[in-house]
Amino acid sequence: MTGPKGLIAAGIAAAAHLAFSTPVYAAESETLAAVQERGVLNCPGHNGSYLGLAEVDDKGEWKGFDIDLCRAVATAIFGTYEDHVNIVPLSWAQRWPALQSGEVDTIIKASGWTLGRDAELGFQFSNIYMLAPTKILVPKSLGAESVADLDGGAVCVPAGTSTERSVAEYLERVGIEMEFVTSEKTEESEAAFLSGRCDAFAQWDVQLAVLRLKSGKPDDYMILPDSIAAEPVGALVREGDDDWLDIINFTLTTLLAAEEAGVTSENVDEMKANPPAPGIGKMLGATPGYGERIGLSDDWGYNVIKVMGNYSEMFERNLGKESPYGLDRGVNALWQDGGVLWPILID
Amino acid sequence: MSDATLQADRARPPVSPFVERLKERLFPTPLSGLLSALGIAAALWIAFVLIRWAFLDATFTGTPEDCQQTTGACWAVISARWRLMFFGLYPYELHWRSGIAGLILIAVIVASCVPVFWSATRLALLWVVSFALFWIIMHGGVFGLETVTEEKWGGLTLSIFIFCGTALVGMPLAIVLALLRRSRYPLVAKVAAVLIDTVRSLPLVTILFTVSILLPILMPDMPLSKISRVILGMALFFAAYQAEIIRSGIQSLPVGQEEAAKALGLGYWHRMTRVVLPQAFRRALPPTISQFAISFKEVALVIIIGVFDFLASGNAAYGSGEWAFTYVEVYVFLAFVYFLFVFSLSRYGAYLERRMRVGK
Repeated sequence: MTGPKGLIAAGIAAAAHLAFSTPVYAAESETLAAVQERGVLNCPGHNGSYLGLAEVDDKGEWKGFDIDLCRAVATAIFGTYEDHVNIVPLSWAQRWPALQSGEVDTIIKASGWTLGRDAELGFQFSNIYMLAPTKILVPKSLGAESVADLDGGAVCVPAGTSTERSVAEYLERVGIEMEFVTSEKTEESEAAFLSGRCDAFAQWDVQLAVLRLKSGKPDDYMILPDSIAAEPVGALVREGDDDWLDIINFTLTTLLAAEEAGVTSENVDEMKANPPAPGIGKMLGATPGYGERIGLSDDWGYNVIKVMGNYSEMFERNLGKESPYGLDRGVNALWQDGGVLWPILID
Repeated sequence: MSDATLQADRARPPVSPFVERLKERLFPTPLSGLLSALGIAAALWIAFVLIRWAFLDATFTGTPEDCQQTTGACWAVISARWRLMFFGLYPYELHWRSGIAGLILIAVIVASCVPVFWSATRLALLWVVSFALFWIIMHGGVFGLETVTEEKWGGLTLSIFIFCGTALVGMPLAIVLALLRRSRYPLVAKVAAVLIDTVRSLPLVTILFTVSILLPILMPDMPLSKISRVILGMALFFAAYQAEIIRSGIQSLPVGQEEAAKALGLGYWHRMTRVVLPQAFRRALPPTISQFAISFKEVALVIIIGVFDFLASGNAAYGSGEWAFTYVEVYVFLAFVYFLFVFSLSRYGAYLERRMRVGK
């Protein structure tokens, strides 16, 4: 029998437990709660195809890097993306109001991080998932190996765009001169380049890969390795829902950390059984702590890699060597490989 | 032509009048003859190049690689991706439903053009039944059909649906607006006039942006789906223009028509539905057909608010790494389908005019 003293002691112990045990930050994200209740994550698609990032296959299914990233976030929340992702076709102009009105839960749509978008639209950007480099496409017959070889040539650019400005600045910096052939619209510039009115065409590298395919003779063109400008590309969420931003940032971290540690969709089961590092074990749910702190299940990292693969697998199948675009990772490699991408540390 | 040459012509063996006339028109003098010959040669050459591109050197089925072997059109993209263009993002294994639903709408459009159905009750019955049928097949959720929400609808079926919805909501609205604008009460007439002129002074794109983007922000609990809002917006736009067309028809009638009806003791509704409107519609037929043709093509504007219509599906059809180079073929195909629809509409309009003897 415990006397009053015993009861008091038990009471103190219980109070102490409540007061000093590790606090659990249950997710308080409104967006996450709404997504979980709905059972579906709403992401933007495109009004048509945006090649490499959001395109439609023969069966009317979405595919592409942006789409895969959205699926990764859905997998993080639900364990699978099947039946849990709804791709809402959106035009470029529509994406901001669509996020404001709640039509989509996040914008993952090739959107560059700018002061205006960050400060004035009421959105927050996630860590960047891509640095979009502006590069130059040339016909192989020109024999150029870098931008420096183009001295005295002509370059096609849409008039008054940031691309035109970056090309001009870059040319000045490396000290060569080129004639600018400007057109009102990007399509006109592309046509001018393909019909041979200029020697070079400057654009974001994904668009250059697309243009190379559009020409119908992809082997006749090459993208020069020089990056003449770059735009940081991230996902956007509504301002003030930091816990939701965390989920997107950590999904990205999972993809990058898995690549860093060599965890792929193939070997993720072995890696979970014998984690190479404690952080990886935690990320894959071998030891607890990865999910609870951001309001997800503890094996969410495992699910993401198992279903979607790591960053490298996602890149290669959508934009890289296994895709028609055949892009190099370039600046979008991990920091160890000379790129700009890094995962957040998992402690 | 002088009498002398006429005499000479009669003496010659008879030549078919067509050839004769052609010769006269095309080769009256050496210079004109030369220009004609050059023009004909150029036209033949263009026709030959086009035919060679579109048929002789074209690839009709196969892979993108097959296409790149030849210099002609790559129609293989149509055979590989036509389902995407016709049905958009509708679930692949359920495409038959979208196909049947689209055919129902086309059948109903054709049926409404047949004089047998020309009574208000028959038309109303036809359209209500077919829209219900369309909804059941397309949306499902009943009779064991899997539910497919409106966000998944797309392609040509969706374009036709938006067009039908616009015309169906817009036409009655147009009649009401036209009658209100001619109301005896100045206030009613003024309000209708201001409404019509306001809508007509707005670009359709603005209206589409308002219904698709602004409304959900202003009214978060909006019960209407995006497609329904788009249809309502387009119907309002259609009605504003069509109301003026109907009004012009009404005003072209001799005043005596309505006065005679009044003298016979007919009430307002009878005067309008039996005397004024039927004649007004007959007179306003040519611009009404134009308005339908314009509206059908304007449906393509919904692409800018992310509705996956026929045009957006076409963009998606050449929008893959493998087929990126086939944009010309895809747009030619889209244009061809649009042409089929709008041209049939115009021919039907011409038939109606002959039937109603408009202009005689």
